Amino acid sequence: MEAAELAETVATAAGLTFFDVVFEMLDAVDVNALAAYGGFPTRYPSWRFGMEYECLARGHEWGLSKIYELVINHDPTIAYLVRSNSFMEQKLVMAHVYGHADFFRNSAWFAPTDRRMIQRFEQHARCIKEHSARLGQDRVEEFLDAALSLDTLIDPYGAQRRMRARQSSGGMPDVAGGHRSGQGALARASRDRLNALQGEEPLPDPPEQQQAVGSPFDVLGYLAEFAEVEAWQRDILRIAAYEAEYFAPQRMTKIINEGWASFWHSRLLTGGLLDASEVIEFADCHAGATASAPGQLNPYKLGIDLFRHAEEQGLDIFRLRAVHNDVSFIDAVVDEAFVRRSKLFAMEPGSGPGRKPVIGSRDADEIKGRLLSSLAWGGLPRIRMESAPAAGSSGALVLRHEHDGRDLKLDEAGVLLRTVGRMWKGPVELLTQEGEEGRRLLCDKGELSLREAS
Amino acid sequence: MGGQIYRMEADRARFKEVVRGRVRRDLTKYMATTELMGRQGGETVSIPVPAVELPRFRFGSNEGGVGQGDGGEGDEVGQKGDGDGQGQGAGEAGELTGEHVLEVEVELEELARMMGEELELPRIQPRGHKTIETNAGRWNGIRNEGPGSLRHFRRTFRRALVRTIASGEFDPADPVVVPIRDDERFRARKPSPRPDSSAVIFHMMDVSGSMGAEQKDIVRIEAFWIDTWLRSQYKSIEVVYIVHDAEAKVVDQDTFFHLRESGGTKISSAYELCLELIKTRYSPENYNIYPFHYSDGDNWSSRDTERCIELIRDELLPRVNQFCYGQVKSAYGSGQFKKELDGPFGADERIVTASVSDRGGIPAAIKRFLGQGR
Repeated sequence: MEAAELAETVATAAGLTFFDVVFEMLDAVDVNALAAYGGFPTRYPSWRFGMEYECLARGHEWGLSKIYELVINHDPTIAYLVRSNSFMEQKLVMAHVYGHADFFRNSAWFAPTDRRMIQRFEQHARCIKEHSARLGQDRVEEFLDAALSLDTLIDPYGAQRRMRARQSSGGMPDVAGGHRSGQGALARASRDRLNALQGEEPLPDPPEQQQAVGSPFDVLGYLAEFAEVEAWQRDILRIAAYEAEYFAPQRMTKIINEGWASFWHSRLLTGGLLDASEVIEFADCHAGATASAPGQLNPYKLGIDLFRHAEEQGLDIFRLRAVHNDVSFIDAVVDEAFVRRSKLFAMEPGSGPGRKPVIGSRDADEIKGRLLSSLAWGGLPRIRMESAPAAGSSGALVLRHEHDGRDLKLDEAGVLLRTVGRMWKGPVELLTQEGEEGRRLLCDKGELSLREAS
Repeated sequence: MGGQIYRMEADRARFKEVVRGRVRRDLTKYMATTELMGRQGGETVSIPVPAVELPRFRFGSNEGGVGQGDGGEGDEVGQKGDGDGQGQGAGEAGELTGEHVLEVEVELEELARMMGEELELPRIQPRGHKTIETNAGRWNGIRNEGPGSLRHFRRTFRRALVRTIASGEFDPADPVVVPIRDDERFRARKPSPRPDSSAVIFHMMDVSGSMGAEQKDIVRIEAFWIDTWLRSQYKSIEVVYIVHDAEAKVVDQDTFFHLRESGGTKISSAYELCLELIKTRYSPENYNIYPFHYSDGDNWSSRDTERCIELIRDELLPRVNQFCYGQVKSAYGSGQFKKELDGPFGADERIVTASVSDRGGIPAAIKRFLGQGR
C-alpha cells in the first residue's frame, strides 16, 4: 500500500498529527453496509440499519451517491476504502482520511469521546441480543425504538462540561448537584451487569463520556437513572444515551470536520501527491465532492471555503480546528467578504406555483444569524428539564423547549411525550411556543392535551 | 467481510418485516391506488413505501434556510430567472430530513395472502370433477434398496449404531461403527398426489363513451387484485380481456387498460363472445371459469338486457364457477343494469353483483366477488 505511506508522509510533513491509521479495502456493498451501521460492524440488530442500507444501496445503484470512504473515530483510527476506487481516488481519499484523523485526534470536541467504541458497541449489541433472546425481539425492539426516538434529548456539550468540571476540581469527577451524582453505584451496578452478562473481562470504565454530572438537558440519561422501568429497559435507555452522546460531536462538527479534510486533501494532492497525468481526474472528483446541489448546503464546500478564507485572513487554522465546532467556527470566520464571495443568500418560501423557495436577502448579518441558529445545538431543538422530581416521587416531569423563533412539530412532540410518559409512569409536560403564543402540552395517563400557557 | 454482510441480511430482513407490517396495515389504502399496477415483475410486486422515520423532537416549517449561488432577490432557487439570475443550492445546514422513498419487493402470493386476511376471503374450493391429480413426488421417503448416490448417511449410521450397541460390540472408548449391507438406507421418492387445477378469468369491460378515465382506473385496480387473488388459488391461470361497446372483441392487457372507444353499448355482445370462447377453448371440464363484467350500468335497449339475462341464466351460469358484475358509477350511467340482474338472480349464489361509487369502494366490491370461495 504505497499510496498510504506516501499520503502519511506528506500529511505528517504538513503538520497533521493522528493516531495510527488503519486502512481496510472493501467492496462498495460492504462499505454501504458499514455506513448503514454508522461505521461500526458490531451494532445491535435493528430494522433501522436494514432500512439505512436500502437507502444507501438504492442511491448507489441509481448513481445518486457514492461513498468513497468511511473514517471511524477510534484509536487506532480506522478507515474503510472502496476497493474499486482508482489510484488517484485512493490517494485523494487517503489524504482526506488523514485530515479526518487529525481532526479526531486534535479537536477538543472529540477529546472526551470513547476511543474504544468498537468494543463498546459490541458489548451493547450483546446486551440487547441477550435481552431479545429472553424477552422476544419484538418487545425489546419496540422499547429500543422508543428509547432511540428520545436520543436527541441529551446534552451535546455534556461530555465537555464533565471533562472541564473534572479538570477544575483536580482530577476528581464533579459530584456537586448533578442528578447522576450519588447514582454512581446504580450506574456501576448496571455496567457490572452488562459485563457479567457476557462473562468476560470488563471493559475499563468509559472515559469522560457518561460519567456522572447531570445536565438539565440530559433527559434521556435522567430517565435511564430515575424512570421506574425494568432492569432490561434501564440497560437499553443507558445504551441509547451512551451511543447518542458518542455521536453528538460528529453531528456538531460536520462542516468543520469535512472542511478540514477537504482542505487537506486538496492541498496535499496539488502540493505534490498528484501526478501530472491525474490532474484532470482530480479536478473532476474534487468538484463533484464540493458541488452544492439544490436543496442542500454542502458541508464539504462550506467547510473548505471557510478554512481558505480563514487562512487568507491570517488566522491560525490549526488552532481553529482544535477549538471549534460548526457553530463557533462559523461565528469566528464568516464575515461580509465571505458571504459575498460564497454568494450566500437567505432563502424565503416562494409564493409562485409549486411554492419553490426564492432568494431573499443577501445581508451578511441576516445570513450568518440563520446559519448559526440552524447549526446551534446540533441543529436540534433545545429541550431541558424544568423540574425533575426526585426519584420515586410521583411529581410531574416538566420539559421546556427553549423557543428561538422556530416552532416544534407539535404532533410528533405529542407522540414523544406519550413515550416519555410511559417510561416515567407519571404526568409529563412540555412547555413550548407556537409563534408568540405559549403552549403547554401535557400527557397524563396516556391522555394528551394541549393548552395555552403563559 | 462475509460477517458484515451476513449481519446486514438479518437487519434487512427485519426491516422488510416492518415494511410488510405497514403494507398489511395500509393494504386497503394501497388497494385504492393505481400505484401497484405496472410494478409486477414475474412473481413479485415492488411496493413503494416511505422510509419509516422514528418520531423525533424537530422543528416545524418556520425555519429559514440559507442558499448559495447567483441571482437577484425574488428569483426562484434552482431555476433560471428572467435575466441571468440563477440561484443554486438551498436548505439549512442543519440536518435535512429527506423524504426517502424505498421500494420493497413483495411476492404476489404474499400480497394475495395479505389481501385474503384483510378481506377475510375464504380459500376457493375448485369444482370437484375438474380436479386432475398430478403425481408430484417428493424425495422424503426411505427404503432399504437403492443406488449408492441416494444413500441416506444419517439413517444408515443410526441403524449401524443401534446394531452395534444391541450386539454388545460398542466400545465407548473406541467408538468405531461400521455399517454393513443390512444397515444401509436410501432416499426414495414418495408420491404425493396433488390436485392440479387451472382457471380462466374473463375481464369484460364496457368502453363506451360514458366510461371515463376514473371509471377505467377503478376497473383496472379491481382486475389487478382479482387476478392476484385467483392466481394464488390456482396453479395455472389464464386471463382473457374483452372490451365492448356495441361490439365485443378480445384485446391484450395493455389495450384493455388504455383503450377508449365511444358509441353505444350492447352488453350481450361481450357475453356472447365470452360464451363462444368457453365453448371453443376453455371447456368447463378443464377450467374453473370466472367471468367478470364491468360497466356503468347503461345498456343499449331493454331487449338486449333480456338477451343478457338469458345468456347468463341458460348458457353461462351452468358452465362457470361464478359470474361477477361490477357496476362503476359514472356521471352519465343510469346504473340500471345491476337492478336488472338483481331482479331475476337475487337469490342465485352463482352470480354476484357489486356497485362501486369511488376508489374507496374497491375493497368492499372485491370482498363481495371473492367472499364466497367459489
